[in-house]
Amino acid sequence: MNRRKSSGMERKMSRQYLVLVLPGFLIFTIGLIIPLFLSFRYSLTDWDGMSAEMKFVGLQNYVKLFHDKEFLESFWFTVKFTIGNTIIQNICALLFALALDSGIKAQKFYRAAFFIPCLISAVIVGFVWLKLYSNVLPEINTWLGTNINFLLFGDADTVLGGLLIANNWQWIGYWMLIYLAGLQSVPAELYEAARVDGAGPIKRFFNVTIPMLAPAITICVVGITIGSLKVYDLLISSTKGGPGRASTSMIYQTYTTAINGRQYGYGSAMTVTLVIMLLLVALIQVKGLKKKEVQA
Amino acid sequence: MRRKVVSALLTLSMVAGMFAGCGSSGSESADTAADAKTEESAKEADAKEEASAEEAADEEVTLTILAGQSTTDAGIEDMIGEALAEKYPNITLEWECVDWGNDFQPKMQQYMQSGLPDIMIGKAQDVATYAPLGVLGTIDDTYLDRGLDAARENVTIDGSTYGLVYNALYQGVYYNRAMFEENGWEIPDTQEQLQAIIDDCKAKGITPFASHMVDTWSIGNVTMQFMMNDVFNNTPDWGDQFREGKVKFETDKAAQTAYQYNKLIFDNTYPETFSLEQTECDAKMVQGEAAMKVSGSWSIQNFLGIDENFDFGIFPFPNQTGDSKLIFEPNITIMTSAETEHPDAVNAVLDVLTSDKELATEIYDYTMTASMLKDVTPTFANPSQSDIDKYAAEGRIVDVTLGNNQLVWGGFQEENAKDIASWLLEELSFEDALKASDVRVEASKAN
Amino acid sequence: MALLKRKNKNSEEIPSTPYTKTTLITQIIMTIIAVLFLSPLAMILNYSFKTKKELYLNSPLALPEALQFDNYVKAFDKLNMQTTFVNTLFYTAASVLILALLCGTTAWAIARGKGKFFKFSYIYFIVGILIPYQALFLPIYTIGYKLNLTNTRHGIIFMYVATGISFGVFLMNSFMSTVPLELEESARIDGCSVFRTYFTVVLPLLKPAMATLIIMQSFQIWNDYLLASLYVSKKQLKTLTVAIQSLFSAQTSDYTTAMAAIVISVLPIAILFLSLQKYFIKGMTVGAVKG
Repeated sequence: MNRRKSSGMERKMSRQYLVLVLPGFLIFTIGLIIPLFLSFRYSLTDWDGMSAEMKFVGLQNYVKLFHDKEFLESFWFTVKFTIGNTIIQNICALLFALALDSGIKAQKFYRAAFFIPCLISAVIVGFVWLKLYSNVLPEINTWLGTNINFLLFGDADTVLGGLLIANNWQWIGYWMLIYLAGLQSVPAELYEAARVDGAGPIKRFFNVTIPMLAPAITICVVGITIGSLKVYDLLISSTKGGPGRASTSMIYQTYTTAINGRQYGYGSAMTVTLVIMLLLVALIQVKGLKKKEVQA
Repeated sequence: MRRKVVSALLTLSMVAGMFAGCGSSGSESADTAADAKTEESAKEADAKEEASAEEAADEEVTLTILAGQSTTDAGIEDMIGEALAEKYPNITLEWECVDWGNDFQPKMQQYMQSGLPDIMIGKAQDVATYAPLGVLGTIDDTYLDRGLDAARENVTIDGSTYGLVYNALYQGVYYNRAMFEENGWEIPDTQEQLQAIIDDCKAKGITPFASHMVDTWSIGNVTMQFMMNDVFNNTPDWGDQFREGKVKFETDKAAQTAYQYNKLIFDNTYPETFSLEQTECDAKMVQGEAAMKVSGSWSIQNFLGIDENFDFGIFPFPNQTGDSKLIFEPNITIMTSAETEHPDAVNAVLDVLTSDKELATEIYDYTMTASMLKDVTPTFANPSQSDIDKYAAEGRIVDVTLGNNQLVWGGFQEENAKDIASWLLEELSFEDALKASDVRVEASKAN
Repeated sequence: MALLKRKNKNSEEIPSTPYTKTTLITQIIMTIIAVLFLSPLAMILNYSFKTKKELYLNSPLALPEALQFDNYVKAFDKLNMQTTFVNTLFYTAASVLILALLCGTTAWAIARGKGKFFKFSYIYFIVGILIPYQALFLPIYTIGYKLNLTNTRHGIIFMYVATGISFGVFLMNSFMSTVPLELEESARIDGCSVFRTYFTVVLPLLKPAMATLIIMQSFQIWNDYLLASLYVSKKQLKTLTVAIQSLFSAQTSDYTTAMAAIVISVLPIAILFLSLQKYFIKGMTVGAVKG
């Protein structure tokens, strides 16, 4: 009797939970998942994005993708950009967080100074750095009589570095806050205990700090990777993918192919490939990092 | 304390949301009212099908306009709106202004699915792209007749005209007139003469060419100028032959020459050209740092904006045979939707644009471009006008729409320009750049 | 290695060690870095006060000759600020409110609900974080116009909710373990329905998480370019970022105005952050620790 009542109640609750999940579930499905499936459907056609005709071509677009020099170049650029960001942003964000947590005064000021850039739209960040590199910074050479090359967006060899600086300027503060939050929640007793055990600073850092930061590290590594693989906004008002094609990211290439090049079906194949890539990378990273978390 | 602040903030944001929400619902109901009105007017227009434009002119109509603008055009929408309000106060224009180079094509692609705006403003070459899809309406002769005959040529397909060309740009080599006189340089007709000027410039420490290669469009633009005089002048159907496989960039000497001119510019321009933006580039030219610039009328606004007394002229970039023509580009081109619900109102807009000479002069003066209407001449002082008149009198002017229709801009010229940039920066060999253009043959067709 | 060593010394000071020499050195280094970080912002501010003439004739590093607000007036006018600003504010406020409401309930229901559907939903939403909506713009538009969402206010808000919800659910879900089950159970014994339990018991406990969500979504939506340019392109529906982007391409010659526009657009969101900073950081703490 009692049991039936509680299972009836549970069913009722379950239904209520369902009611809570459904609106979000539907909006999400309509706004994002259906377009993804549409994209997959287009990727099997030769549609130009405009005319009424659409021919089914099977997996031909995907085969073409692996022989497309421009796409492969954009792939490598995106990979390099992502690796650069993941390493620099994580290390800098962690270093900054450690420094801010080391008992320096006016912590709030530094926190705000590093965080504010990420409140600015990437479209604007790109524009600002374009002006910095081409107009403002070269003036420093005139002042100091030095000959530093500040024209980073103007050469295929330096454009990646230039974009990394701009992107890191924007995002380091954000990830720093997450590390900072992680650091401040490490119980002081743990350090004390380690100190009593005779652990030196290096040992304490690796044995106490890093393991306690593991969840934060997972968030930051995955977040930075995913964000960098999707880079697009930063480019549209700065390098526009140039010079030449030196800074064309995968999404940028997708856009030029699908829209300007009027090969919508082919561009969709790029989209689907990118989504699969993102899923794989995230899966591998989360698995790997979680494993570390457990071991630690 | 903390709780108080949070609750205060939450309340604030909610109030803000409600406030904004009210605002929106208000305007939405206004929107629906407007919609209802337009629907009504459409119905009434249906009722008196034979009614003349004059009679229908009393109904309230809202037209949507997509304007793909060049950098010089931003601002003309207000002028048109004002002029229209004077003659047809019942017509309201709902503008959507985007950058032609980056956003016009994507917007058109969007609207191709959901229905085109009533009026679209693009470039002459857009007609060749969209008209064959059957989405553009024909333009009535009444309005076309008010424009120059030359305006019709490249916007007419199978006898029907789908675009009203409103103004034109000239492209070629802009030169610092005072500097040319000082140094005794003559306007060059041949490559040898041009080289002599370049050499003299270098000897005197002047940068021969101003350029801003950071803008890929600018590389694409000058390449088309070179192609016009070295390729299309002799072979007007080069693009068709290209698609038939008869010619190729890899083997065609004339096309390669056109590409090679980019190297000539690159070797004789600012070392920081790949970091230099248009305005800074133009500013340097105005300040006498460079002697010439391969460009188009859009530079005039910049030149005169920086120094209103800057004196400059224009000549066509010399080709191999020494018979280059000045490039002429029909620019603002008005197209209409084939399925507009308000054809009368659309015609009223065309009427204002073609008959209001005051408006036309205002626009030409503002954009510093040439008129494509009969009996309208801009009044701004264009230092390069004397040169343009000279070439016009000699019949040495050619419409670049030919080239842009043969080899389309988006997806082809634009992409080739990226390869040219890579080649100039030694990231790509010249042969590979040519090959890349050949591979892109499918994308070269307007439709 | 040398780097690591220095850093270790810093961490040694945790939590409240006296202000030593190392702390001072750290302070100096961080001050230099902070100044470097702020210098681009200083440049924006500096340029926003310059006249066009100063732009070309004076050194780029020189300060403006006079404090004049012409650029701001021009920016206000060119951006059609009275419209774009209100639009952006409305889209942001409405989307964030809906997101705060939906993400909280959805994440909680997913965490508490038993059954395959809820487990599936969690993974379903998480996968959404990885989908680059930037690359799906055309199908997104196709869906939009079929549902009559394009060029409407509710349409763009719908899209912001759809693209923001996956991250929001993920964030909220990671906070759910901080909500003690006992409280919920006692509420239920008192006869509260699931809905009332959420609003009276759970929601108040989620405040730091909500602050985090509000800030993060606010600045993302406020700064969004792609969706706004896709969905609300009509002049009277445009957003600030889209207007600024067209200013960049249309006004290459006059970027002092663009700089003033940047200042105007960044200010509101910066104020929001500075005023909510404390809660935001508290929210971050929970997120970072629970993963």
